[in-house]
Amino acid sequence: MISQPAAKSLRISHVGLRGVVGSALTASHVLDFAAAFGTFLEPGGAVVIGRDPRASGVMLREGLLAGLLACGHDVIDLGIAPTPVIQHSIRRLDAAGGVSIGASHNSAEWNALKFFGRDGVYLSTAEAGELLDIYHLKKFTFAEWQGIGTVTAKTGAIDRYLDDLAAYYDFAALRKFRVLVDCCNGTSSLILRRANERFGTEFILINEQIEGVSFAHEPSTTRDAVALQLAPLMLPLHADAGFLFDVDSDRVALAAEDGTPVSEELVLPLLADYLLPRAPGKLVIANISSTALLEEIAARHGGKVVRVPVGRQAAIDALSTYRPEQIALAGEGTGAVMMPQFRFVYDGIASMLAILSMLHETGRTLSQILASYPKYSILKGQVPLVTQRIPALLMDLRERYADGRVNVLDGLRVDWPDHWLHVRVSQTEPIVRVICEQKGDPPTELFNSLLEEVRSFA
Amino acid sequence: MTTRREHLLKIGVSGIRGVVGDFLTPGLACAFAQAFGTYVGAGRVVVGRDTRSSGDMLYHAVACGLLAAGCEVVDIGILPTPTIQIYVGATRARGGIAITASHNPPEYNALKLFNSDGLFFNSYERGELLDLYHQSDFRRATNAEIRTATSDYATPPRLHIDRVLQHVDAERVRRRHFKVALDAVNGAGSVMTPGFLRDTLGCDLRAISIDPTKPFPRIAEPRPDTLGALSELVRSSGCEIGFAQDPDGDRLAVADETGRLLDNDDVLALAVDAALRRLPGDVVVNLMTSSVIDAVAATYGRRVYRTPVGEANVVEMMQGVKAVIGGEGSNGGIIFPAVHLCRDSYTGMAFLLERMAETGETISALAARLPRFYRKLGKVSFEHGRLGSLMQALEESFPGVETDRSDGLKLILPDAWIHVRASNTEPLLRMAAEARSEAEVEELYARVLKLFE
Repeated sequence: MISQPAAKSLRISHVGLRGVVGSALTASHVLDFAAAFGTFLEPGGAVVIGRDPRASGVMLREGLLAGLLACGHDVIDLGIAPTPVIQHSIRRLDAAGGVSIGASHNSAEWNALKFFGRDGVYLSTAEAGELLDIYHLKKFTFAEWQGIGTVTAKTGAIDRYLDDLAAYYDFAALRKFRVLVDCCNGTSSLILRRANERFGTEFILINEQIEGVSFAHEPSTTRDAVALQLAPLMLPLHADAGFLFDVDSDRVALAAEDGTPVSEELVLPLLADYLLPRAPGKLVIANISSTALLEEIAARHGGKVVRVPVGRQAAIDALSTYRPEQIALAGEGTGAVMMPQFRFVYDGIASMLAILSMLHETGRTLSQILASYPKYSILKGQVPLVTQRIPALLMDLRERYADGRVNVLDGLRVDWPDHWLHVRVSQTEPIVRVICEQKGDPPTELFNSLLEEVRSFA
Repeated sequence: MTTRREHLLKIGVSGIRGVVGDFLTPGLACAFAQAFGTYVGAGRVVVGRDTRSSGDMLYHAVACGLLAAGCEVVDIGILPTPTIQIYVGATRARGGIAITASHNPPEYNALKLFNSDGLFFNSYERGELLDLYHQSDFRRATNAEIRTATSDYATPPRLHIDRVLQHVDAERVRRRHFKVALDAVNGAGSVMTPGFLRDTLGCDLRAISIDPTKPFPRIAEPRPDTLGALSELVRSSGCEIGFAQDPDGDRLAVADETGRLLDNDDVLALAVDAALRRLPGDVVVNLMTSSVIDAVAATYGRRVYRTPVGEANVVEMMQGVKAVIGGEGSNGGIIFPAVHLCRDSYTGMAFLLERMAETGETISALAARLPRFYRKLGKVSFEHGRLGSLMQALEESFPGVETDRSDGLKLILPDAWIHVRASNTEPLLRMAAEARSEAEVEELYARVLKLFE
C-alpha cells in the first residue's frame, strides 16, 4: 500500500519556491532558484529584491544575491519591504524583474521566493514553466569574472509607492477615520506609519513590531484571525474600521466598527461593489471556491463574474486572456485582490484604501454596507487526503449530485439555484477541502452528508 | 595563456578554488560554506575577501551557507588575508573564511578556511571537512535558529597593525621618513598598506595600484618579471626601497634602491635575521628554501627545520617546534608567530624598514652582507611510470648523501643541495639546485639533467 503523503513542507511550482526552512527549504534550493531566475531574465537587467521580516529571510537574501550577481545582474535591495512595494519598485526603477522573499500568510517557519517580471507583474504560466525548466536542468548562464553584478541598497521605496497611491485615493478625506490595524508583526506597519506621518491619517497599529521568529498569531487573513485581537478592540478604541494584513501585506481581512469579525469571503464582494460602478471594466475574476454573493453584487452593477481554478496562477492566466480595461478586479476568497489601476498586483493596502474610500463616499459604516447584502452562509471543512482515491471520489460525488450544474475546473463544484458545493485537493496541505454555501441559513445537512461521503474515501 | 581543464576547479583538502563562472559557482561556494559552518558549529564566523570582482558575489554565497548552518556571519569586507586571520583569532570566532585566490589570475577565486585561532586546519581536520562536504551532511538551521549577518570594518586593520607595532620600534622608523615605493596590485593591500606605511611608519610614500575597485594591473604574483612598474617607480622617484604585495597581501616582494628586485629567499633571510635578533627560538622553512636561512640561523646558534612545500606544512611544523620565524623563500612568505602564525607582508615591511633605520644602511647593502648562494631552477617532462626509476637513479648517482623524501627527493650535499619533485598537475619534474658558486650549481644541475635524458 502506498503510504500517506507527508505534510507538504516544500513546494516548487509555477508560483515559485516555498517551504519550511531547514527541514525542507535549504540554501541549495535558494541558490539554484536564484541562478535559474538570473538565467531566465534578459541579460544585464537590474533585479529588485526585498524580504519580509522572517529570520530566515537573511539567509535567503544572501543566496538570492549570490545567484543573481553570478548571472551578471545588478541587484537593488529594498531590505525589509512589503511585496506590493517591491512590485511597485520594479516598475518605477525600470528593472528587468524582481523577487520577494517572504511566506506571506504562512507561519513563521516557512519562507518562499516569489518571482516577478518587468513592470512587477507575476510570471505567466509559460514564463514560470521556463523558469522551472531552467531550475530543474541546472544549466545556468553565469557571467565571466568581469561581468558579475553589484548590489545597491535603495531607500524611499515606500514613499514612491505612497506617491502613486495618493494619485488614486484622497488621503485627506480618509483622515477622518480612526482605523485600527493588526499588522501581525509584518511589513504593513512600514507603510501605515509613514502614511500617518505624510498624510495625517489615523491608522492605529497593533502587533506593529517587526518580528522574525514568532508572530502574535498566525498571519492568515481570515475571520478567525480577525476575531483574535482586532475585533475585540474595535469598540473599546472607537475605531471606524479594522484591517488585518498578512506578513508581506498582499492580503487583507476586515473587522466592522461594531466589533464583528468579517468573513474573508466578503472582501471581494465589497470591493466589487465599490469598484464596478467606478471602473470601466465590468468583469470580476474569482476562483470557484469563493462566495456566490459575488454574482449577485456583480449583477447589481451590470458586471459579470469569471470563475477560475483556485490559486494565484489561474487568476494570472485568466487576466492575460482579457484586455486590462475589461476587468474591474480579480482576486481570491482569501483577501487577495488585484485591481487594474495597480497593474494587477495583490495589494492589501490598496484594497484597504478602496474600502475606506467606499465608507467615505457612501457615508455608511462597514456594518451598514454589509447588512445591505443578502445573507450567504458558507461552511468549510477538510478531510485527510488519500491521493490515489481522488478520481473515484470525484466520480462518486458527480453521480450523487447529478441534479446540479457541474464544473470540473478544479476538483468538483456543483451549483444549484441557491446553494453550491466544492470539493478539491489542497495545493498546500495533504487534505481535501470541502466547501458548501447557501443563500440564507447554513447548508448544514448537505455539508454533513458531503463530509461523510468524502471521509468514506479517506 | 590557455588554462588546462583540470585547473578550472579544484576541491580538495586545501579547500575550493577555481575559475569563477561555470566552474567555481555560487552554489558550490554556498555548499562548501555550509559544510564549514556545520564543522565549526553554530557560532560567529568571520568572512573577509580580497578585491577580485567575484568577491562580493562569493561573499553572499558563503554568507548564505553559513547562515543556513546556523552560524552568525561577521563581514569584515576587503582586507589582507593575515588581517582576517588575526581578527578571527583575536575575537575568538568559531572560524573564518577568506575569499581570495591569493596570487592566481583574476578569473580565479577560492575559499581559505581558518579555525578559531585564525590558523589553517590541520591535515586531519581538513580531511573531515572535505568528507562532510561530499556527504552533504549539513546542519540546517530552522527559522528560529537562523542568526544574522553583522559587519566590522574598522577593528581588523587596527588589531593587525597594533600587533606588528609590538615587535617593531616604529618611532625609530618614523624618524627616518623613508621614501618608499608600493605596488599593491589594486588588491586587499590597497585598503591598508598606504596608511600603514605613511601614517604608522611615517614614510614618504609613492604608491601605484592602490585602487581596490580596479582590476589587477599586472600578473598577480609578485615576481621580478612582473614588477617592472615598481622598479621604474623606485628609480624615477628616488625611493630607498620598494614593496610589492599579492592580491591578498600575504606575500611580499622587495625592490632595492636601484629598482632591482631582491631574491625572495634573501628577503626571508633578512626577516629571519631580524626575528632571531630579538627573540629566542628556531626556524622552519620548506625544503626548497635557500640554505642562506641555515647560514643566518647558524650565526645565532639556532636550528632550521625543513617541511614539504606549502604554507600549511610550514605552519604545522612551526606550531610543533614553537618556531620564532618561518616561511617559504621562493614565494615571498614571511611567517612571524609573535604577530600571527601566517604569511604576513606587513611584518616583513616593518622588519626591513626597522633594520634600515637601525643600521643606517641601504637595503642593497643589507642584502649584500648575506652569505651568497646560487640557485638554478628548471623543469623536464617525463613519462608516467618512469618517475620511480628516475628518482632511484638520482639517489644512486650520489651515494652516501643525506636525503629527504618528505616532498619529492632532496639530496643534501655538503654546501649544496638538489631537489626534484613531480608536479601535482602536469607530467613535469620540477628541479632545483643550490651551491656556493655559479660554476658549482651549473655543474650540479647539468649532472642531474643528464640522468633524466
